[in-house]
Parts: sequence; C-alpha cells; structure tokens
Amino acid sequence: MRKVAVVGAGLTKFVRRSLETGKELSYEASKMALDSCGLTLKDIDCVVFGSAPDAFDGMHMKGEYMLDGSGGFRKPYMRSYVGGGTGVFTPIQGWYHIASGLFDSCLVVCEEKMSTLRPHPQGAFLTIFDHTLERPLEPNLLWIFALEMNRYMHEHGLSKKDIALVSVKNKKNALDHPCALLAQEITVEDVLNSEVLAWPVQRLDVSPITDGAGALVLVSEEKAKQITDKPVWIEGVGWNLETSYWTNRDLYYPKQVEYAARMAYEMAGIKDPRKEINIVEPYDPFDYKELHHLEGLLFCKKGEAPKLTREGVTKRDGDLPVCPSGGLLGVGNPIAAAGLMKICEIFWQLRGEAGARQVPGTPKRGLAQAWGDLMQVGTVIILGR
Amino acid sequence: MGITEKINDLRDIKSWHGEMPVQYLYTYGIAGEKLFRAIKDEKKFLATKCPDCNFVYLPPRIYCQECFTNLENSWREVENKGEVHSFTIVYLDIENKPLDVPEVIALIRIKGTNGGFIHKLGEINPEKVNIGLEVKAVFKEKREGNILDIQYFKPV
Repeated sequence: MRKVAVVGAGLTKFVRRSLETGKELSYEASKMALDSCGLTLKDIDCVVFGSAPDAFDGMHMKGEYMLDGSGGFRKPYMRSYVGGGTGVFTPIQGWYHIASGLFDSCLVVCEEKMSTLRPHPQGAFLTIFDHTLERPLEPNLLWIFALEMNRYMHEHGLSKKDIALVSVKNKKNALDHPCALLAQEITVEDVLNSEVLAWPVQRLDVSPITDGAGALVLVSEEKAKQITDKPVWIEGVGWNLETSYWTNRDLYYPKQVEYAARMAYEMAGIKDPRKEINIVEPYDPFDYKELHHLEGLLFCKKGEAPKLTREGVTKRDGDLPVCPSGGLLGVGNPIAAAGLMKICEIFWQLRGEAGARQVPGTPKRGLAQAWGDLMQVGTVIILGR
Repeated sequence: MGITEKINDLRDIKSWHGEMPVQYLYTYGIAGEKLFRAIKDEKKFLATKCPDCNFVYLPPRIYCQECFTNLENSWREVENKGEVHSFTIVYLDIENKPLDVPEVIALIRIKGTNGGFIHKLGEINPEKVNIGLEVKAVFKEKREGNILDIQYFKPV
C-alpha cells in the first residue's frame, strides 16, 4: 500500500441553525481545505462525501444530491455513511482510494445539517430500533446511552461527578476553538444540576444538534512532497462492528472500538499507545463516552479513564491531551462533520497550527476515533508527522 | 424462508404500516434566499455567472461546480422568458384518477442562462405545445417567496 498524506483541512463554524444549505456548507469547508494547501478543484482526482442518515435532510440519496457542493461534479465520487462513525470512516475511504494506487488526490468532505428536522432529529432515530422487539416500547436514542452510562458507572463504582469532569474540561477547551458552539467555563455542579433527560444522562452530559461541515485534502506521497514540507501521514486506520443486538453487548465496554484500534495500531506499528501517541480525540457526544472510548482505545485499563481525568492527565497541557479541540461537547455535534473535526484537530496540532489550542511540546502522533452505526461501529485513524 | 400467506393476485398484498414521525423545515440557503426574495418582491429572476467558466447558474449557486470560484458577488438579473426544452402532458393524478384538465409540465430554459426551471405551462392547449416554444413567466398576485410564486409559464 502507498503512503497517504493529509495536506489541507477546512472547517465551517458549528452553529445551531445555518442559513446555508448542506451544499453551501460543504462548499465552504471544501474551498477552505483546498485553499489551505494551494490546490484547486482541478487538482482533485476523486471525492468522498460523508453524511449521516438521509432522514436528517428528508432527502433520499442525499450523498448524490450534495455532489456539486462537495466538488464531486464529473468526478469519481462516493458517499460514505456509518452513522456517528462517519466522520472518521470517510477519510478512511479517502485513504484507500489513494493507498490502493487508483488515485493521487482525494477531497474528503463531511457535512451535517440537523436543524432541518422537526420537532427534533430524535424522530429520525426512532426507526433504528428493532420493529418487533423495541419499537413497541417507544424508545428514544437516549435510552441506549443512559443504559450504557449506568452500567459503566456500576461496573467501576464511578460517580456522576467523575464523569461530569469530562464535560467541564471539553467545554472549556472549546473556548479557544473559532468554530465552537458550546464553549463555556462551567463547573461539575452545573452539570449535576442540569435537567435530567434520561437518568443518568443530564442536559450538560450530552452535545446537542448542530449544523456544520469539514473537509480534508488527501494526496499520495509524491504529490505531498510537491505541495508541502509539513505533510501529516495517515499511519494507521481501523474499523470494526459489534453485534446489533444491545442484549448481547457489553454495555460497559466498547469492544468494537478496541478491535478497530488494534487494527490501526498494528498498521502503524504501535505497541504501547499510551507511550507512542501524544494526542487523542476520542468520540465524545456524551461525557462518559470519552472515558469509555479511552479505555476501548487501550490508553488505560478498564475503569481507569476517570482517574486520568481527575488527575489532569487529559487536560490540554496534561501528559496525554484528550479532546484539546473541545470535542463534540464543546465544539458541537454535526454528526459526520464532528468526527472529521477531530481529524482536522490532530492535523493542525501535528503541524503546530492549532493556535491557542496548541498542546505543549511537539506532538508526533495523534489518534482520532468515532463511533456509531447502530451504536456498534468503531472507527479509528492514526496520524503522524 | 417462512411464508405466512400465499397471494396470487398482487392487488391483495397486505402491508404493515410504520411511520417516521418527522417534519422538515428547510432554509433557502445563501443563493436561494436571494432568488426567492427577488421573485417575491420584484418578479425578477436572479442568476449567478462564473467569470472563469462563463456558466450562468439558474437556479443560482454561490459557487461554480466546475472550478469552485465563489460567485457570491457575481449576481445578474436575467429575463423571465425562455423556451420549452422538453415537456410532458400529465393525464392522471397521483391516485391514478383522470385529471379534469391535463397538465403540461416543461423544462424551461431561461434566456441568457445555462439553466432554468421545471414548471407548469398555462394558457395553452396541450396539443399546441412544442419543443422550442417561447414562453414567459406569469407571477402570482400574492407572492410568498417560493417556487409557486410563479403560477406557470405561458406562450409569449
């Protein structure tokens, strides 16, 4: 397989409701990514576009519909979709377009416009549940997270306070992100006093619906050397799916994330992720999810992620910065674009271009991860200088 | 494969209804907002033109799909006239009932653009429609800022 580099990135502001259409958001991010590395659309061989369910837009075949805004007009083009895991999986698809030798450049675009749905995008999720076993109970998405979070807390004897620290950290980190929707300095008490949605999930444990888009430019090694002296290499990729039956899953531990991570570590030649990876952007649509995923990614033993958080190890200036961007909890959660935002963050951090968010030292390697599908896919990318 | 019923007449097929209880509230976008405001307030069509590709976008877009040039400052008014590029005559409604008056649906290429609209033709005998026919937009009296502010296109 050929080496693949990330050479450009673009990100729109994450907002509650954008005037821009999904196509216009995609255009803004794509154009930024191209401009950032001095390329034009004519330099792009193929396009991969990621976005979550068609039901969000009420537009069947939305990938095809979004074509021109994401630069896919009259080019080899494909839509990528693995639910919440999309933002990290789409660049993986871009990666194999180039690693395979088929193309030398690929524009990767992830877009989500969730504000269109009324009364709430929750409605689009009602049909992800089994029609015979679950739908008659009138479930909503929060049920899954609440059951997972409760089991996670129970298994390791954790308190809500242990978990709320993640929300406090990420929302604070986001104060330095120009695209952030949810940046604020809050306290653990604020989280614990926020409205209970589905116990133990409270309002400030979760990131709300958001509109936004992001884009990356991926190129082959030969091209990368012509474009920049600061290429960021895709060193490892991994993805994996757990059973779609919640009843047969370990709610307290995301095995699919571990398997995806092991695949990526093997490709990147990583034996000890805690020592060999400097920055982590795990998927954090809920605060406990960051902890869950850090454990699945093997950065610590099961149940020990809250300790790392409590001790400040995961702060931006800690020994292992986790979500220095502000994550989904702080920057926002336009599903596919949120995952891609994490790749953008690692890219900027490794190039020393993260501005006020720059982590100390000169990080060599970072990992971004997302999670989704029917709550059972893990997607992982490792980037390095 | 388990079969719970055998159906010989396809009209007897039974189904299980499920529903996805959601509604959509769309934004027009940067380009759409301009287009529909001009139609509503001034009965005008606005297009964007790519200075590099000489392509005139109607419906307007804020970017050129070919070269990604930003077109947010490349607006121009175009005529509300065009020609029938192709058409169909519709005789049945969505429930298969015959329409009282057949409807003519056409792709109308607007003059001076590389695009146009899909719309209805009016004030014309369906048998008299032909490709190449010159038509102009008829606007509604009370306009709300949507595609139905154009009532139909009629022969010039």
